[in-house]
Amino acid sequence: MKGWRGVGVVLLVVPLAVAVFGPLFVPDEVGRGRAFVDSGVLGTDFVGRDVLQQVLLGGRTVVLVAVIATGVSYAVGVPLALTAAMARRRWLDEVLMRPLDVVLAVPSLLVLILVAGIAPHGYGTVVVVVAVVTVPDIARVARAAALEVASRPALEAMRLQGETRWRLAIGYVVPAMAPTLVADLGVRITAALYLVASASFLGVGVAPDAADWAVMVDRNQSGLFLVPAAVVVPAVLIIAWSIGVNLVFDRAVRR
Amino acid sequence: MTLGRYTCRRLLLGSVQVLAVLVAVFLLVEALPGDAAVALAGDNPDPARVAAIRSAMGLENPAAQRFATWLGGLLSGDLGSSLVSDRPVTEFIAAGLPTTLLLAGVTLLLLVPSSVLLGVFVARRAGGRVDRVVTAATIGLHAVPEFALAIVLVALFGVELGWLPPTALGADPLADPAVLVLPVLVLLARPLCAVTRLVRAAMVDALASDYVRHARRLGLTRARVDYAHALPNALAPAVQQLARTTDWLLGGVIVVEAVFVLPGLGTSLVDAVAGRDMPVVQGLAVLFGVTTVLVNLAADIIAFRLAPRAGSAA
Repeated sequence: MKGWRGVGVVLLVVPLAVAVFGPLFVPDEVGRGRAFVDSGVLGTDFVGRDVLQQVLLGGRTVVLVAVIATGVSYAVGVPLALTAAMARRRWLDEVLMRPLDVVLAVPSLLVLILVAGIAPHGYGTVVVVVAVVTVPDIARVARAAALEVASRPALEAMRLQGETRWRLAIGYVVPAMAPTLVADLGVRITAALYLVASASFLGVGVAPDAADWAVMVDRNQSGLFLVPAAVVVPAVLIIAWSIGVNLVFDRAVRR
Repeated sequence: MTLGRYTCRRLLLGSVQVLAVLVAVFLLVEALPGDAAVALAGDNPDPARVAAIRSAMGLENPAAQRFATWLGGLLSGDLGSSLVSDRPVTEFIAAGLPTTLLLAGVTLLLLVPSSVLLGVFVARRAGGRVDRVVTAATIGLHAVPEFALAIVLVALFGVELGWLPPTALGADPLADPAVLVLPVLVLLARPLCAVTRLVRAAMVDALASDYVRHARRLGLTRARVDYAHALPNALAPAVQQLARTTDWLLGGVIVVEAVFVLPGLGTSLVDAVAGRDMPVVQGLAVLFGVTTVLVNLAADIIAFRLAPRAGSAA
């Protein structure tokens, strides 16, 4: 499997580097020429901007929004699960976890389209919706992990010594849960990327001429016969990133 | 727990979920910032149009009463009518349903046998070269967004090689099945990976179990041991995953319909959301939500029937 790991790292690092460092190589003034002509390295897009520049600019939102949304989901889901798992009263656990089962029963892209159709446009909305959709999954995994840790004899002993519940939770249970949560991280990031990219592609929550890989695929589709690179290059970058994240995290977990 | 009791319990939970979906869909419209009627009327609200929408939506009445009216309409099959075109919502559903059902049906029909066979195939060669390649491929491809995969396939087979039509624009899928090849291929990719991985993992466990070893010692043929004894036990997690991928399939259908210009329910939904046509959005969302709950319900009951132990904890 050694060869596969190298493939995974390359697939992860190349799009990430383009996304993070790409904007540095683009001049502030974006010139506009004729739409869909074969000039420059990759040609021009549907409003006549240089495709190469758009590719360099467009990764930041896709990658950043996915990572931020995942971070927000963990920031909400883990404390929620911790409270549920360490609750002295059973009903508190039920009250916290049961509503999440209902969210799990609704298709996530449907939620995204519905909410984004109503809420104000912008990446904030996308982050919130991705968080709403991902929190139940994270909370379930985290609660199971926390329950396992909370029933250990070591914890019982510490409790008998008079440690407070919160010291136990933050000082002992969270570090002990960490490996499980990290193992889950790759799946969550790719799921968030999937949602963010699909939403941008459907024109949910972003400006129609935004420099964004997913938006580029959508808007330049009409020029597929003239300048295929304007569609294929951003699409391939998105594909590479999701494959790379999955392969790398899967290797890291199994080690 | 017997199958009957489990079914009853699961039905109860399912009806609570359906009710929750209905409430959520209704609240979503309630949650419109500001006055719903003004928001729906667009950027330059015309007072007459605002008043018309307001009375059409019954906004003068309290929310609880509106919910009851809407729910009553749903039960009698009346989903209201579009704010934009005045056509009944059921007409929108009837127009989009055949295409969406065709796409999802063909995909599921291909998905179930191919993922089970592929999972069993690699599980019987666990640790080998074929297994490693297939496992890496299923892990990698598992989370690729449909639209990106779709557009690359269109560029390759539709434009570069010219083997298949790039979109289904203006074509009848039934008369011209070639337009369905690429959409179905794209829809298959993600669920195929997920289900194959699960079948493989469960099958590897089952093949290493005591009862399989015992069955082998009794001299049963390998095919009989694998398919009649190990496979049913290995299928339970896959059935539940199949239900969950139906959610994703639904999302995928929305995206794939957009890429290939197929006139299905997903297209109706995206158009209705873009036009803020709330009765249509509500109707479609109820349909999608209820379908998901029912599919999960069926899957849980099938999984319980296949391996009663697995379901008893739920």
